[in-house]
Amino acid sequence: MARTLLCEIVTPERIVYDAEVQMVIAMTSTGEVGILPLHAPLVTVLTPGELRLKVGEGAADWESFAIAGGYMQVHEDKVIVLADDALAVSQIDRARAMESAERIKARLAELPADATDERSECERDLAWCEMQLRAAEKRR
Amino acid sequence: MANLRDIKKRIGSVQSTRQITRTMEMVSTAKIKKAQERIESARPYALAMMELLGNVTRFASGAQHPLLEARETRRRVVAIAITSDRGLAGAFNSNILKLTEEYLRDAKAAGTEVDLITVGKKAAAYFLYRGITPMAQYRDISDKPTFADAKSIANHVIRAYSEAEIDEVVVLFNRFVNVADQSPELYKLLPIAPTVLEDAAERSDVSAECLFEPSAEEVLGVLLPTYVEALIFRALMESAAAEHGARRKAMKSATDNASEMIVTLTRSYNRARQAAITTEISEIIGGAAALED
Repeated sequence: MARTLLCEIVTPERIVYDAEVQMVIAMTSTGEVGILPLHAPLVTVLTPGELRLKVGEGAADWESFAIAGGYMQVHEDKVIVLADDALAVSQIDRARAMESAERIKARLAELPADATDERSECERDLAWCEMQLRAAEKRR
Repeated sequence: MANLRDIKKRIGSVQSTRQITRTMEMVSTAKIKKAQERIESARPYALAMMELLGNVTRFASGAQHPLLEARETRRRVVAIAITSDRGLAGAFNSNILKLTEEYLRDAKAAGTEVDLITVGKKAAAYFLYRGITPMAQYRDISDKPTFADAKSIANHVIRAYSEAEIDEVVVLFNRFVNVADQSPELYKLLPIAPTVLEDAAERSDVSAECLFEPSAEEVLGVLLPTYVEALIFRALMESAAAEHGARRKAMKSATDNASEMIVTLTRSYNRARQAAITTEISEIIGGAAALED
């Protein structure tokens, strides 16, 4: 049995994933990183993107998550992903994501240009919807 | 003595009121449980967040960040008042409103301008009536707050604080002590107290060769806003649980009072009925005696 990593994906609302994996591939602010067992301690910032976990030997043994940005800490074969929001790609509801993207776009168009706080909030939500759609698209 | 029919009507109405308050009590009991579970499920994130914050602080000690900067003069501050959307929860909302009112008064005395952010219909209604327009109002989130709500609230204050438009941010909310107890609290959200970071750093156990990408300082820079969001989220959830706790307590005493009232009313109903019978009997006897003569 090969050495494994314990991978935890937590969001403020729940634990999304918690199991042993063989490899973690994540999008960080400096590029994509792959984490294998015995990795040096690492703390990094995740950008919105896909997080892939290798859970077995087979080519199909990959699990994929859409991450709305967050942090990752690697320490003694334990990977903790703190995500603002995370969703297993298999659970992404494309119709819903598309619908809320449209709604946010409509709201963004209505907002005055000087409402910077609201605009940045909408843009962030929109990016998350598009992120989900992209991840779902890739899988099809 | 009140007449029989009136007392009977009264008993009926108190009984149906008791039925309503008893139902509300039971509903609240169920809701407290759910709200508590939500707090529980947020714990792993909060713990991991503190661990991460500790590790980062240890390697970025002395790092400067606008959110850590305490300002000497307070020209403009923001108060976030968290109440509920619905009433009938005892002193739950009025405690927060009183606390906010006190804060406003103190700030005014010190010559500080205060902007309000209200959560819940109760706070918004109260301050609008008082002629104070909040800079942002949140409604219909107090029952089931999401992290996105917390982010949205944080969004209003983080940028403004970083750019020194405001000098302090406080949250006024009901802390969920236990199922039967809640305590109104004023929490200083910004600047972030340096002791929080120091304590977290002390518990950090990562080895010295820990890597930070891009750098410990930069990680801290993005981590702190998220920390603030998590704190607001926590306050929202505690307030939701506390709301149900307060309502349960209020409804329980309402139910008890109704029961007591029914006992008293039934007693006076019986007394009145007895009196009526007595009068009737003496009338009959009086009538019979008159016939005999």
